Amino acid sequence: MKKLRAFCAFASCLFVPIALSHGAETPTITISKSDRQAIAIGTIGGADGAQVAKILQNDLAMSGFFNLVPATSAGVVVGGTSNGNSLAGTVTDRSGKTVLSKTFSGNVRSKVHAYADEIIETLTGSKGFANSKIAFVGSSTGHKEIYVADIDGSNVHQLTNDASISVGPKLSPDGSRLVYTGYKSGYADVYEIELGSGARSRIIKFPGTNTGACYSPNGHELAVILSKDGNPELYTTTAGGSFARRLTHTKGVESSPTWSPSGDEIIYSSDDAGSPQLYRIAAGGGSGHVINTGHNYNTEPNWSPDGKRVAFTVRDGGSFTVAILDLGSGNVHTVGSGEGPAWCADSRHLIFAEGGSVILLDAQTGQKTTLVSGLGKISEPTCSR
Amino acid sequence: MKIIRFLPLLAIVLAALSLSACVHGKKGAGHNGASDSDYVNGSPLPERQEGVSFTSSNTDRSKFRPVYFAFDSYAIGSGERGKIDEVANFMKGGSNTLIVAGFTDERGTPEYNRGLGERRAQAVREALIQAGADGSRIQTVSFGAEMPADSGSGDSAWAKNRRAEFGVVR
Repeated sequence: MKKLRAFCAFASCLFVPIALSHGAETPTITISKSDRQAIAIGTIGGADGAQVAKILQNDLAMSGFFNLVPATSAGVVVGGTSNGNSLAGTVTDRSGKTVLSKTFSGNVRSKVHAYADEIIETLTGSKGFANSKIAFVGSSTGHKEIYVADIDGSNVHQLTNDASISVGPKLSPDGSRLVYTGYKSGYADVYEIELGSGARSRIIKFPGTNTGACYSPNGHELAVILSKDGNPELYTTTAGGSFARRLTHTKGVESSPTWSPSGDEIIYSSDDAGSPQLYRIAAGGGSGHVINTGHNYNTEPNWSPDGKRVAFTVRDGGSFTVAILDLGSGNVHTVGSGEGPAWCADSRHLIFAEGGSVILLDAQTGQKTTLVSGLGKISEPTCSR
Repeated sequence: MKIIRFLPLLAIVLAALSLSACVHGKKGAGHNGASDSDYVNGSPLPERQEGVSFTSSNTDRSKFRPVYFAFDSYAIGSGERGKIDEVANFMKGGSNTLIVAGFTDERGTPEYNRGLGERRAQAVREALIQAGADGSRIQTVSFGAEMPADSGSGDSAWAKNRRAEFGVVR
């Protein structure tokens, strides 16, 4: 039996690099500080030009791809005209050639974030995350409630107001919906909120505890932990919470499922072998295979949008540390104190909770930025993609 | 291909079923590595009763003493068995619905704590069923590390918080 398992682990190791080499065509680019592009915010005309310039500067700096410099020494100059709901953006290079010209609409912050993401994608080929939303649990009211905010830490808004327990938020990939675990009924149920309208529905309310819901990359399915069959196990359901399909059959505790970018696989935490370890399973069914991380306590895995890495929480002694597993090599490294990591759309930055703050980490440079604080103990941050 | 993959699984399920006839209720040996084994001892929960929960006013949460657990464990210690028997006897003598609520100390991550609390509640429910109580009248819920019995930090507070409580629906 042991031999069989060893073989399976060996076989899955073999399979991973092969699968990745077929799936991911993008070469790995390592960028050091000196590789950053010199960019300048030029003239932003129009009624709210000054405000637009400030938000844009912050977005471009946050991306990690640029050094903001005076226009005279910049390789690229960002300009535009902003009036009301419209922002006409123009990016020119040193020779004066236009490299991007596009009009964005929406309120001032969202049109600027969209412009920033377009600049990042045009100049670097990487997906930007300036337009992403975050959500997290805050406790400053004396109860755990769900909050949402923009990824730059602005527009913080308390979403639930139930004076109950509202925890475990997960944003849909497009940021339009959010699922979370709520105790309004006295039981742990999965609720879904349409962020545009505020409409809320209780979508999973089986007997026992329903928790850990997480959208698949296309938003059509949920992975979720249900205990209705006598033990907390991993299931998938439709986005609306119907047609629960059981994936695991263990005597232990499964928790915190996260999907691969293709939606074909799920990584989750399970204490079936004693302490919580990470496991990988086909979303269509099969056996969960343990991922050896070298750590004893591994929870809250979060798969990067490019499929290459998994961030998770380890407990060493009494404190929590954020760790990153490289799926190609199997290497694990820790990035510092914190818990509940979630990758941003660029697969380079991640957010996590540390005490009373949501922190944004550039996993490439190690640079940390505090996004939100002052809402009591903050936990379980999530990021749209 | 599908049948070949399915056959070993079927064999394992059958083996587990025949095993469970003699070891039902006991914890199986730990399965390491890939979970190609199965666990069929859990008893599905009955449908919920609308409007009734562990925290609702029609639930008596002080009738029985909590069952306590070791750190990161859902095993019921021998010293806690007397409490289980007491509740099982009460259940056998009446028709009340019981809600077992599981809790953890603050030292785990939140989602794992919710799972561990549920696992503790389910372990107590299984033990009650083994002791003769009717499982169709026993619900479970987990609050994870929320609603601690002792809001302090330290060994003594944590020991009080790793628990399963009994709510008797009046």
